[in-house]
Amino acid sequence: MGRGEIILDVRNLRTHFRVGSDDLSILRGVSFTARQGETLAIVGESGCGKSVTVHSVMRLLPKNGRLTGGQILFHDNGRTFELHKLEPFGKEMRSIRGRKIGMIFQDPMASLNPVYKVGDQVAENLLQHFKLTKHEAQRRIVEMFASLGIPEPERRILDYPHQFSGGMKQRVMIAIAMICNPDLLIADEPTTALDVTIQAQIMELMGKLKKEQNKAVILITHNMGLVAETADEVAVMYMGRIVERGLVERIFHNPSHPYTRALLRSVPVLDHGKTERLETIRGATPSPAECVTGCEFANRCDFMTPKCRSGIISAYEIENGHLVRCVLFEGAKELPNE
Amino acid sequence: MLYYFIRKLLAIIPMLLLISLIVFVAIQFSPIDPINYLASPDMTANSPNLQALRQLLGLNDPIYIRYIRWLGNVLHGDFGYSIVDGSSISKLIAMKLPATFEISLAALIISTIFGIGIGILSAIKQNTIIDYLGRIIGVIGISIPQFFFGIILIQFFSIKLGWLPVGGRIELGYRTWWDHVPNMILPSLALGVSMTAALLRYARNSMLDVMTKDYIKTARSKGIPEWKVYIKHAFRNALGPTLVILAFRLPILIGGSVMIEAVFSWPGIGAIILQGVSSSDYPVIMMTTMMIATAMLIASFLVDLIMALLDPRIRFDR
Repeated sequence: MGRGEIILDVRNLRTHFRVGSDDLSILRGVSFTARQGETLAIVGESGCGKSVTVHSVMRLLPKNGRLTGGQILFHDNGRTFELHKLEPFGKEMRSIRGRKIGMIFQDPMASLNPVYKVGDQVAENLLQHFKLTKHEAQRRIVEMFASLGIPEPERRILDYPHQFSGGMKQRVMIAIAMICNPDLLIADEPTTALDVTIQAQIMELMGKLKKEQNKAVILITHNMGLVAETADEVAVMYMGRIVERGLVERIFHNPSHPYTRALLRSVPVLDHGKTERLETIRGATPSPAECVTGCEFANRCDFMTPKCRSGIISAYEIENGHLVRCVLFEGAKELPNE
Repeated sequence: MLYYFIRKLLAIIPMLLLISLIVFVAIQFSPIDPINYLASPDMTANSPNLQALRQLLGLNDPIYIRYIRWLGNVLHGDFGYSIVDGSSISKLIAMKLPATFEISLAALIISTIFGIGIGILSAIKQNTIIDYLGRIIGVIGISIPQFFFGIILIQFFSIKLGWLPVGGRIELGYRTWWDHVPNMILPSLALGVSMTAALLRYARNSMLDVMTKDYIKTARSKGIPEWKVYIKHAFRNALGPTLVILAFRLPILIGGSVMIEAVFSWPGIGAIILQGVSSSDYPVIMMTTMMIATAMLIASFLVDLIMALLDPRIRFDR
């Protein structure tokens, strides 16, 4: 299978947050790539650093967060931008944000400014990056609304966010993210706050954008069903590290990291017997403030060995493009840079 | 939208009636007996005459009759007469109100500009030296009593530096309006300081609150410049709650002028209120109370108006 070109190349990304007097390591070396026409799903429990990862890429970390290492390389028509070197709110980063990378957030109810008409909120992004007349901008927004399945677009662009339902609001958010025709779309749990039926519509819409317009999509979610349906590649995160990464069918057919296996076992499946108990992962996610040597998952792991507690755990390539960060696979090819 | 305003405007009428009733009844239960002011002490001994006078003035009528009579007069623009010196209250108010409005308005403008301005700046520059300065101004402004601040201002600017007059208002013999500005500066500053502090703290907090909202992140994800994020997205949403505080503080501004007017011997409504209370001049107390209550209701109507103009969710909700 030929794969799309790499658009975003994140290498060994590290992020720290100041919380009170502590300086917490939230991302501890995260590497992944996003490719044209493919969806990369980043999955993991709440607090594992999924959101921080994409906010780091967008350079939209809160005031108390900062990048402390690694590279974020963004490729655009032969040019490479080193996003990690740019000023977060400087001109260059702003010319990429919104224009080259679009972003959709978790809660469409809260993500639109309540006091402006939705059409104007979409236009703000368009007019920031393109010199257009108001009329031309409006025409494009109406077109975009229509293509996203918002009925009566001419009338609806004049409405305020509170006049939209949750699913329609998320479509408006997608319109904001896509209006400048960016190469990369980052969706941070885009359907978590929506009804199940609306979820399917929104995911279908995003799948269409990916396929028809050859976009790269990064999807953040904790919904394994969504991952199986929409992703091409999966990165499983735990405590600020990617513990397993590979093509979606490999991850589902051959889940190898004990955490990934546990995660998949804890998803309810319809044809399980009624008497069968749904498995949970014992223990709780440790706080990032706890200083753990070795594998962060060791305390909750059924396969824990003394080695898990010693030093840095390397990543191993157990099959082509399938990476696992676990001492159980020491025989496989070690990837020292991951 | 229009329906909304008409409804809000009409709601003022029953509120005013209720307040007038409460004020009237409260005064009736106070130990003030107007007859003591009208009759000379030797007449008080002669109770049949006193009874006749009461009858004549209608003071023996049931309370609801007296209330309706008083209300009828007020509605006709007859606010009654001071029982101390017999002057017409409407004339008194008409004469003194402009002076109070003058410094209240000046204080309002000062506090709006500085309060909201410093508050917003403080929020944007959170935890920097600018923010600390803003917060110090906020705490000092809230905790120092206005009259004390007024005295400090007089001590410093009038007595020590001699830049501005100690007090009083030029009522006669000035050529241009600007001539009495120097007299206004200190009382306006003293009156505006606590309002500035209140607005500052409120603007800062609501700005900080808005800055954590998801739509701020959305705005930033469009790549727009930070000042646009602050002004267009954050400030616009923080403005509503701040203006509510401002509007509700308007009557306090007028009430607060009682003290300031005394400190600066400013001939405004404050002097009337002070005199009325100290000499139990109940028609004056009643009318000035009604005036402050009316100002309060108008302020609350203004709040509704501002909120509707700022927030489409209210505007479209019938």
